[in-house]
Amino acid sequence: MAVVDIAELTKVFRVPEREAGLRASMRALFRRRHRDVRAVDSISFAIDSGEVVGFLGPNGAGKTTTLKMLSGLLYPTAGEARVLGFVPARRERDFLRQITLVMGNRNQLQWDLPALDSFDLNRAIYRVARDDFRRLRDELVELLDVGDLVRKPVRNLSLGERMKVEIVGSLVHRPQVLFLDEPTIGLDVTMQKRIRGFIAEYNRRYEATVLLTSHYMADVEALCRRVIVIHHGRTLFDGQLAQLGSQFAGYKTIEVALANGAADLSRYGDVLERDADRVKLRVEKADASRVTALLLSEQEVIDLTIEDPPIEDVIELVFAGAAE
Amino acid sequence: MVDFYVTAMRTQVQTQFQYRAATYMYLVGMVAEPVIYLVVWTTIAKQNGGQVQGITVGQFAAYYIVWTLVRNMNIVFTPYGWEWRIREGQFSAALLRPLHPIHYDIAEFAGGKLIWVVLYLPIAAALTLVFDPDLSVTPLEVVVFFVAIWGAYLIRTMLLWLLGMVTFWTTRGSAIFETYIMAELLLSGRLVPLKLMPEWTQSVADFLPFQWAFYFPIQTLVGDLPAAELIGGLGMQVLWIAVGSFLVWVCFRASVSRYTAVGN
Amino acid sequence: MRPVRVAWTFLRLGAINELQYRANFFVAAFQSLLAVAVALVVLRLVYSHTAELNGWSEPELMCVLGIQILLGGVIRAAIQPNMERLVDEVRDGKLDHALTKPEDAQLLVSVREFRIWRTVDVISGGAVLGVGVARLEASVGAGEALSFAGLLLVGGVLIYCFWLVLATGAFWIVHMWFLAELFEGVYATGRWPVGIYPGWLRYSLTWLVPIGFAITVPAEAVTSRLEWTTPVIALGFAAALFVATRWFWRFGLRRYSGASA
Repeated sequence: MAVVDIAELTKVFRVPEREAGLRASMRALFRRRHRDVRAVDSISFAIDSGEVVGFLGPNGAGKTTTLKMLSGLLYPTAGEARVLGFVPARRERDFLRQITLVMGNRNQLQWDLPALDSFDLNRAIYRVARDDFRRLRDELVELLDVGDLVRKPVRNLSLGERMKVEIVGSLVHRPQVLFLDEPTIGLDVTMQKRIRGFIAEYNRRYEATVLLTSHYMADVEALCRRVIVIHHGRTLFDGQLAQLGSQFAGYKTIEVALANGAADLSRYGDVLERDADRVKLRVEKADASRVTALLLSEQEVIDLTIEDPPIEDVIELVFAGAAE
Repeated sequence: MVDFYVTAMRTQVQTQFQYRAATYMYLVGMVAEPVIYLVVWTTIAKQNGGQVQGITVGQFAAYYIVWTLVRNMNIVFTPYGWEWRIREGQFSAALLRPLHPIHYDIAEFAGGKLIWVVLYLPIAAALTLVFDPDLSVTPLEVVVFFVAIWGAYLIRTMLLWLLGMVTFWTTRGSAIFETYIMAELLLSGRLVPLKLMPEWTQSVADFLPFQWAFYFPIQTLVGDLPAAELIGGLGMQVLWIAVGSFLVWVCFRASVSRYTAVGN
Repeated sequence: MRPVRVAWTFLRLGAINELQYRANFFVAAFQSLLAVAVALVVLRLVYSHTAELNGWSEPELMCVLGIQILLGGVIRAAIQPNMERLVDEVRDGKLDHALTKPEDAQLLVSVREFRIWRTVDVISGGAVLGVGVARLEASVGAGEALSFAGLLLVGGVLIYCFWLVLATGAFWIVHMWFLAELFEGVYATGRWPVGIYPGWLRYSLTWLVPIGFAITVPAEAVTSRLEWTTPVIALGFAAALFVATRWFWRFGLRRYSGASA
């Protein structure tokens, strides 16, 4: 049975419309105009236990709205959602005990006390047995290397440190499903890597299912084998990350290092970059092997690399395509 | 659940302890209100041969000093704070937890009260020295008082939670809050001992929960109530807590439905 | 008259801002009328048990009440929002925005905010004062009216200085969230003539927290019980306090700039 199972999930917001200006404001007092915004439009997917799925999409695509519906904070306008067999909108205790929603930049720990005290409070709220709690807490603290931070009042921690202890705090009840909304936002590169590593390890050790939204491709590339791309509330792609490129970007880049310096290679393909002795070409995917063979036979090649286009470029293409 | 209450209260004791200086300033501001009432009524009493409708100067002093103890206990989360807690995302965070948010408020404030009362005792002692109250209590009265102040705390928690939830339905809640505060001021014994209010007001007050959060707890120590009235009063408190809980339960479900329709 | 021009600019801005929210006016008006109604009920209750309070009759006490509400409106519209904002900005380290402007810092932090809807209290307080004056036994002449107006202005200056001293304290004690509550509590004492309070309290409410000078003294002017020495003392006190406040402000400012991280 799928852990997360949604069908035709839809969320429509009624947004009041108001123009600028005094006269318009006065008119608005008498006649309110509304607009329907389909934040999430009939999306369907199923996630199995232990999967780490990345949710990609530009701002306003519907990612956070979907996560909120899956965690019970919003109830859907139409469609069905089931998480661990529960209907999230019913917010049953047993359901809430098994999930966690972590939003970057949101503080849920007690501000003036050491994080350890907040962890204990969470233990009491989620009714975790003390021994299990202590063991898990110590494991998490070690995994994220926050041993010396958890005794300091949370207000004295830096943004990155705070995010780390917040994550520990949100996991002390050993949730089976993790909803992570932009968990690495605003953090420096080292911290992001740390947290990524941690999530991967948590997923591995506790077989938790992770649904992660992020702007940073590095997050998605490092953690998710499967991605769901969302735009304007609709899914554009749901599958393996590796195939995202092949489905949407029909080209490859060939980077060549030549013995005889930069030659004119424009007859092989589009020259993207030219540098002292390296040239980067773009060719149609179908032509890639043919062009490679030609290059190898006709030129003095020291080094040759064939790459898929960077994911960022692919994503941009996906969104650009969907915008039409 | 007990585990949660103990842990949450302990957490709040630690937190509130850090804010003792600010708390002292707050308590001083809080004390200003009953001191004003006390001075005014004492002035009237002195002009009237030492008493107003049977209440002597010393008894007024006792009433208002016990008032401050009761007030310490019945201060709860302000309805004005709901807008803030919704906007800051704290309400969403509360919805994600497998625990009704009211337990959080009850436990946190209860923990805070422990610190407040301890911090407040010197002020109470100072007031006693200055205003020379006339007070004699029996052991039964003390026991009932101790129970009644917690009853008062719960009653007001329910009432102000109901008020706070108005925030989900309108942004002009402050008008409703103010109306409540004014009604409570006049009908709870907060302004004056209810005995001094006109008869018809007292009759109206009997149908309302306000006096059970102020007047009754004060009277357990100050008035010379017979045992039957003391116990009966506790019963009334239980009744109003039950009514309040039911209303909170109903309104909370409706409010959460509304909130989860539009989100934060 | 640059300070006046600066203040007027902010006042206009604040008004335009808030005028957008018409509903706010009705809410503010409702709250003001409600508060006045309750205050009058309390007054009636007190006077149902006595004919005069410390020598003040009911109409005279209405004058005190009216002045307290009126001045309260000015405080809540013009003084308090600025002081609260100052305290918040000191706490969050955002005061620098105000300090880097080419205008005197004290002036700026004192006039930036203006909540026009809270001035309904000025109207309702004025109405209560008017009714009180109408019911007075002695009539109010031009002399009384003038001295009243002047003393009210002096009172306003005193309250402003007091608030600024409190807010300047934020440079040292960062957690001042209780200020509004504290002031509300103490300001409520002004509803009654300061003479009813026992010695030490009356002393504090005259010199420490200048409520007595701000409210009771103008009320004395209107109810014809003013001694000629009082306005002189009031004026002198206000001038001295203003100077002292400014010095304290600049002292605190130096400390803030030096200690800023």
